[in-house]
Amino acid sequence: MTSTPALFLDHESLVPLIEELSKTLEVVAPVYAEGEPVFATWKGEALALDADNPLNSPVEFFLPQKEVLFKYVQYSGRYTFSEEPPKSRLILGMRPCDLQAIKVLDEIFGTELSDHPYTSKRKSTIIVAMNCTSPGKGCFCASMGSGPAAKEGYDLLLTDVGSGYLVESGSPAGMFVLRANSRHFEEASPEHLKEKERRLALAEEEIVKRRLALTPEQIREAIDETDWEEVERRCLRCGGCSLVCPVCHCFSVMDRGVPDGERLRCRDTCTLAGFSRMTSGANPRASLGERLRHWYLDKFVYIPEKTGMLGCVGCGRCSRVCLSDVDRWSILREAIE
Amino acid sequence: MSKESLKMEMGLHSSTLAHKGTDKKVCRYVPLQAEVIDIDVESSNTYLISLRPLDEEDETVRIDYSPGQFLMVSVFGLGECPISIASSPTRDPLQICVREAGKITQGIMASRVGDVMGIRGPFGNGFPVEKMKGRNVVITGGGSGFATLRSLINYIADNREKFRDVTVAYGARTPQDLYFTSEYGSWQATGIEVGITVDMMDASWKGNVGLVTSLLADLNPSPGTAALCGPPMMINAVAKDLVNRGFLKPEIYISLERHMKCGVGKCEHCTMGPYHVCTEGPIFSYDVVGDLL
Repeated sequence: MTSTPALFLDHESLVPLIEELSKTLEVVAPVYAEGEPVFATWKGEALALDADNPLNSPVEFFLPQKEVLFKYVQYSGRYTFSEEPPKSRLILGMRPCDLQAIKVLDEIFGTELSDHPYTSKRKSTIIVAMNCTSPGKGCFCASMGSGPAAKEGYDLLLTDVGSGYLVESGSPAGMFVLRANSRHFEEASPEHLKEKERRLALAEEEIVKRRLALTPEQIREAIDETDWEEVERRCLRCGGCSLVCPVCHCFSVMDRGVPDGERLRCRDTCTLAGFSRMTSGANPRASLGERLRHWYLDKFVYIPEKTGMLGCVGCGRCSRVCLSDVDRWSILREAIE
Repeated sequence: MSKESLKMEMGLHSSTLAHKGTDKKVCRYVPLQAEVIDIDVESSNTYLISLRPLDEEDETVRIDYSPGQFLMVSVFGLGECPISIASSPTRDPLQICVREAGKITQGIMASRVGDVMGIRGPFGNGFPVEKMKGRNVVITGGGSGFATLRSLINYIADNREKFRDVTVAYGARTPQDLYFTSEYGSWQATGIEVGITVDMMDASWKGNVGLVTSLLADLNPSPGTAALCGPPMMINAVAKDLVNRGFLKPEIYISLERHMKCGVGKCEHCTMGPYHVCTEGPIFSYDVVGDLL
């Protein structure tokens, strides 16, 4: 990790800075849509940096809900293919939980055979992360070891220290952004650094105190103890939990158009009935209970075996969207209580 | 800041990806085109299709593969699905054996000589042929699972001296559903014992009727290595039977079928417990997948 002296950015200077950056990059930031914070392309609207972490994870900009893998055009019996180059982007306000999710996905999508549509977007994106000094009500990053302080994986890191943001650089690209826009920044004082530590310690304490923390070991135990048939009766099968999970990355591929058209990739989820069903009708995970159990096993057993990292980052989005009367984590808590 | 200087700097940012180098293999999802050069009818609903993979100049491309691997085959407009390679790497051309099952296989079977389809791959691990060399080999299959085994059988037939006793036990629903009937003689000519059975006979059938397991009882192969592919019920029955005959579980290799979308271990459709069937399979040894079948 590159270390440079920390800088300080006034709250008032943030918007002029991203205005500057948006001249050369697509800037993605938390903004309000019908009162809810969401990650979206910034077009000058009010930023939602103080609100809860947006419900859509920023992973959407690396693995979109729907994307064109390539276009095919037929000419006298042969095809030509074209792919769109990735946009140069900057994502502002990514929290440590999502940063950790991207680290897991980098391992899954970035290793052989690496997934070009993901890695190309990843490599053309600058990440300006934001330490979580006011954690949301449902999140539990501290239990999963992913927050509230970002450790790595960012190009720039902001921490709200009250009067403005403490700005740290984590890469040459981050340093370049700082240097190219130096007029917006001033040098950080020792008080700013101290305030950062104080606020993060408070945030961590708050998360740990408020959450009934389950360790990954307890969760693995709970997966075995859970009555999945009973959970099956409560689940409404909407797939929303996977849709918002920053680590979930199941996808489906389909074509649209004859003779010319495009091959699309859409997000999918292993909790839906048709996910592993074969054309013959045989379905290796036919019951919802089995599929839900697989969802948890993947996050707490299989992904850790493959990547050395947990497949859950504690962002709490799955519980926020669950339409049923249970949140996903209370299922596990009940199992071992 | 200028776009150019920013692009230069982008290559240097802190993502874990930036440290991994750029020389490793990349999956872009864009297929190669392959021209249909021959179509053989294997049964009423199964075609053996010979392909000539093409580069951008329409020249033939060689695909290196091993028996047991598969291709992701596209019909543009319908989509892509996994199809096992039915030819042996020892012989040209590249062939896939396709049974009509869904819309993509219907699309593949609607192709005519001269048409192109998309192919990606080969994917998967393939049969561990090096471990099978110098050993007895029993190859047992049922139904369309026999396509991938034909790749192995022809590979063995072309390297016959490297293998000891080789036995093929193959079952189909009816005599009309048997694949590759014109090749059994050539396998036998290399000293491979070939046993065929059907579930339901017709007036013309003079061979065995019954399950593959009873065929194995007749053939009574000596223990060694085994390659299996077929319906799950058959796989379970045959694998248990082979264990009773003294075969070791780690030497019974089973080729599995799963729903797949990517072929490269990303989409998660083919997961079976902790395994991705597309990258860690489709061939698994019985000791690994016995409990998951």
